[in-house]
Parts: sequence; structure tokens; C-alpha cells
Amino acid sequence: MSHSDEHAEIVKQLPLLVAGALDEDDEARIARHVAACPDCANERERWQVIAAGLRRLATPQPSSALFKRTRMMVMDQLAAKAEQRQNRIVMIFLVLFSWAVTVVSWPIFRFATGGLLSLLDIRFRQMWQFFAIFSALTWLASGSAALLLSLRRQHERRLTQ
Amino acid sequence: MGIEAAVSQLRGGDLDALSTLIARYQNRLYRYLLRLVRQPAEAEDLFQQTWLRVAEKIRSYDPSRNFDAWLFTLARNLAFDHLRRIRPQSLDQPVSKGSQDGAMVSQLATSDVGPFDQLLAHERATRLADAIENLPVTYREVLSLRFEEEMKLEEIALVLSAPLPTVKSRLRRSLEQLRGMLDAGSAEVRE
Repeated sequence: MSHSDEHAEIVKQLPLLVAGALDEDDEARIARHVAACPDCANERERWQVIAAGLRRLATPQPSSALFKRTRMMVMDQLAAKAEQRQNRIVMIFLVLFSWAVTVVSWPIFRFATGGLLSLLDIRFRQMWQFFAIFSALTWLASGSAALLLSLRRQHERRLTQ
Repeated sequence: MGIEAAVSQLRGGDLDALSTLIARYQNRLYRYLLRLVRQPAEAEDLFQQTWLRVAEKIRSYDPSRNFDAWLFTLARNLAFDHLRRIRPQSLDQPVSKGSQDGAMVSQLATSDVGPFDQLLAHERATRLADAIENLPVTYREVLSLRFEEEMKLEEIALVLSAPLPTVKSRLRRSLEQLRGMLDAGSAEVRE
């Protein structure tokens, strides 16, 4: 590498030198060059002034209430989210429970009104209309509960954003 | 209580440990956020959001990783999302002079001894702070992380999610641009 090439390369490296971003070999190489090159020595000094200024910039202070405000906000948000989670679990449980109750109630109803034989009787006779309405109402109720749960979750998501 | 112990306790669900961490990092984190967004009110809001994110995500934090880098990465992601939302122009562009307020510049003066030295130091610090504020946000942040937070380049690479050569080149370009601004300012004063 010619002297002028090396000089140009060293000049390019000087900002990284003052930023402490070079390895030891590069630092030593630059130190050797700078010792024999007044221009680079002068240039390094100017970079060092800038680097020193950057290191000595005063730290802007946050407002004194920020610590307390942040702590309270985090606690409140976590408590609110925990409550939302709990509400969601309760809602899911209620939906599943309503499904279970409606599904189980049909055979119980048949058993109570017609006995074991009626329960095992797969012919619907005149009961098929009642069965159709009962099933439709069951699905409607469960579907409505699921829809309400979904809307509530959307609402909660909007509030947290 | 040390940082590691506080992080460990927070991971275990002890929210009192969060107070320890907030107290320990409040000046550094606020300074970093202020360098990014420049407005104290926005920096305070992001500061709060960052700690909420810490409390929510602490269980996913890998204790073998550097906590500083993890914390500053969370803060950076929130700040950049915020900047993209409120200032949809390129984040690499410097801001216009008119959009700044002088609040931060006055906060950046150093306190040397002697009235004349103090005046000169204040003048230099003001010019430097002014120049920094005019840099693009990606340059401001790399300078802040290196010179103010004194992070190693590897840590900066983690925060920026960028390879080491990119961090080096960004650091060099930011210093060159800063110097260009300071030199231009000096030339204007001489004229």
C-alpha cells in the first residue's frame, strides 16, 4: 500500500478510533502512522474533541414523578390484564357449561319422561319436532354466547391498544 | 439488590423487583428515548410503555443474554413504532430546524469550573447538542448507545438487530455527518 493510500485509509478510520471501535492491531497501526504524520495527528485531535464532547453531554433528567407514575401504571395495567384474563376464563367456562347442560339435558329429559326404554328408543315418533326446536334453541344460545365472548374480546383488545 | 437478582425476582413474579430495575435504569433509558424522539413528553410515555413491556415479557427473557441490550431493544422497538406512526417520513432523514424546541439543547450543557470556561463549554455543548438533534434518528441512536450508554459494539449490534460491520459503518457515518455539521456551523460563525 502506498503512503497516500495508507494515509487516506487511516483518515477514514480515525472516527472509529476515537469511538473505541477498532481492534488493538488497527489501533497500533494508526498510532504508528499518526506518530509520523502531522496531518493525521491534527485530525485525530479534532476527532478526540468531538468524542470527548459526546461523552460529556449532560444527562437529561426525567421528571421526578416519572418513577412513581411508571410503577403505578405498570401495576394497574397488569392488574387490569389479569382481570381480563380471569373474565375470559369465566366466560369460556360458562359457554362450555351451557353447551354441556343443554346436551346432557336432552337424554335426561327423555329418561325422566319416558324411562330407560324411551331413552334407548331411536325412533322419534311425534317427538321429532320438539327435538328439532330444542336443538335449534341450544345451538342458538351457544352461538350467541360465543358471539358475545368474541365481541367482548375485541372490545378488550381495543382498550389495551 | 443487583440487576441479575432483580431480574430473577421479577421473572419469579415479584413486582417489587421492577421498582429496583426502574430506579436503576431510569436516567439511562429516559436519556436514550429522549435522544430518539426528542420530545420529553413522548420520551416519558415511551419510558412507561417500555417498563410495561418488560413486566409482560420478562418470562420470555433469556437470563444468559445481556439485560441492558434486551431492555434497550424493547425501548427502541417501541420508539421506532411510535416514530413511524407520528412521523411517517423516512427515519433516516434529519428533521428541519423549525421542528425542534430548545428544551433539550439547554439540558445538554456541561458544568465546568470558572465562569469563562463554563461559558465556552456551554457554547460548545450547545452547538454539539444542536448538531446531534439535526442528525437522522438512526445516527443519533448509535452515537447515544456508544458514547453515552458506553455499550460495546456487540451490544449495540444486539439492540439494533444489525451485524457488527453495519454498526461500525453507521457509527463512522454518524460521526462524519456530525463533524460536517459542526464544521459548517463554525464556518458560519467565522463569516
